[in-house]
Amino acid sequence: MTTAPLQINLNGFLNELKKKFVVIDCRKNILAPKQYLFPAQETAFNFDIKKSRLKTLPPIKPFILFGLPLRDLEAITRLDEIMSRPNKNYYYFRRRSKTTIIGLTDEQFNIPPGGDLILQKLSPKDFAVMPVTAKGTVLIKKMALARPSKNIPASQYAENKTMPKLRLLLQDAEMLKDAVAWSWKNYPQIWDELAKICLGCGICAYVCPLCHCFSTEDSMDIAGKSCKRCQNWAACTLPEFSRVAGGHNFHKTLKERYYNWFYHKFARSYEEFGEPQCVACGRCQAACPARIDIEKILINITQKYKIANRA
Amino acid sequence: MQNIYAPISVKIAKIEEHSPSVKLFRLKRTDGKKFSAQKNGLIFTPGQFVLAGVWGYGEAPFGPASDPLNRNHIDIVVRKIGQTTSALHHMKEGSKITLRGPYGNGYPIENFLGKDIIMITGGCGLPPIAALIEYIINNRAKFGIVHLLYGASTPPDLLMKNRMKFWQKNIQIMLTVDKPICNWEGRTGLISECLLELKINPANTMVAMCGPGPMVNALEHLLNPMGISDKRIFISMERKMQCGVGRCQHCVTGNKYVCADGPVFNLDEIDKNWD
Repeated sequence: MTTAPLQINLNGFLNELKKKFVVIDCRKNILAPKQYLFPAQETAFNFDIKKSRLKTLPPIKPFILFGLPLRDLEAITRLDEIMSRPNKNYYYFRRRSKTTIIGLTDEQFNIPPGGDLILQKLSPKDFAVMPVTAKGTVLIKKMALARPSKNIPASQYAENKTMPKLRLLLQDAEMLKDAVAWSWKNYPQIWDELAKICLGCGICAYVCPLCHCFSTEDSMDIAGKSCKRCQNWAACTLPEFSRVAGGHNFHKTLKERYYNWFYHKFARSYEEFGEPQCVACGRCQAACPARIDIEKILINITQKYKIANRA
Repeated sequence: MQNIYAPISVKIAKIEEHSPSVKLFRLKRTDGKKFSAQKNGLIFTPGQFVLAGVWGYGEAPFGPASDPLNRNHIDIVVRKIGQTTSALHHMKEGSKITLRGPYGNGYPIENFLGKDIIMITGGCGLPPIAALIEYIINNRAKFGIVHLLYGASTPPDLLMKNRMKFWQKNIQIMLTVDKPICNWEGRTGLISECLLELKINPANTMVAMCGPGPMVNALEHLLNPMGISDKRIFISMERKMQCGVGRCQHCVTGNKYVCADGPVFNLDEIDKNWD
């Protein structure tokens, strides 16, 4: 950016924003912001049985997601790519195209990882305003912001203390892929142990900003007048996930299902997108009733992998 | 923006009862149009699948069993096994259902041209193989010796018996059952025994299968010593396929999506998968 960034008072800015737009403040959410783009239950089709025709889905009104940390901005950048293959997901992008995303951080960064606008902390109340996209620039203009910012010394930036070691491991996506793929046959003890601890509840997938599996489910209203075909959040650790009609289950054990969750995030995702589907946000560890910590698991696996493969 | 999950409306033009739990449904478009052909001139490639659905009861994947060159209709063969298939079994001729697809890759028919083909399947695995047979018979001169080995639990479980009479005039067929009830005069025993009786030229043979994992594994162990490598054995896999485009994750095996990368794989592609 060539010009000095604008500076705002956070509460004043947020109050003004709320007067002008529909704002969803994400700062205290347990669920990741994916919930507003890929909701837990998406009504894909609403069918009127009497008239034998589909009802039109209600239009999506523009909204602002406010207060996303850098890693959530990064997650949405990655989710946009996931949802673009093999072609743009209709339901995701009908919401996404109406979304303006405002990041909020006290960390330093070189290149914005995503979002339309980022507010970077200068002091407890003051934030620098950095537009990321044209949408962000338009928003700034609409808000009529004034004061230019002071320069801030680097020492004032905070460090993100969530899963710093996992963050480092994620930098080497190929090694992480190799280690996770290697572990199934060569270090099965870890998956046996985890299968004993894991409850198979699926919460890790629900809170994850990047997990995106879903089940297509039909339901009928009790009067039999209309029915819905919904795309609902699923979780690959749930027992029904790979079970077909007739009862055969292709991932019968929790060990297989739990490993599949890791395998998708760190191995299959690498094959498909060249990067892991994790930003080390720490939500899965925080929400896990069994207190499973994926950072510890991946440190453990990569260490064993490196020792075993030392030439 | 195109919504790939939006199905078209089709009507059930004909229902045939093939066994106590299996019906064939002939589907035609409700708008009077013909099904559109893909780049290869077929409305689906044998081995590709469609998602047929009933509003309120969901969608389920089926490998069409009809002639892929005939743009007037698509036949699906439905075993009553879950919610969607039970709802389909309640349908009458003239009822409307939903359809989307075709999805996936299908058998590599270009690689099959000029070759001897052995098709092996059991029970409800016949439909995608049936479409391949229809294609082969339509282009009979382009293929060498063609065998169908088809097994079922009992004689009533052998599907598409009326089509079988027509196929028999064009290709070699061996049928076998586990339990020879209902005055069955044909073969009894495993499909693998049929395979061992064939005289084949491995240098010019391709194999197409559709069946459960244990059957595939058993046949692989017979075919490899006969000189047919995993790369020349094509298997249509079963998984829970919901979205059809490799997004919803239910059908995954190793690093493949059965719905999008398959459902037809050569054995070499999949037999090293962790699951």
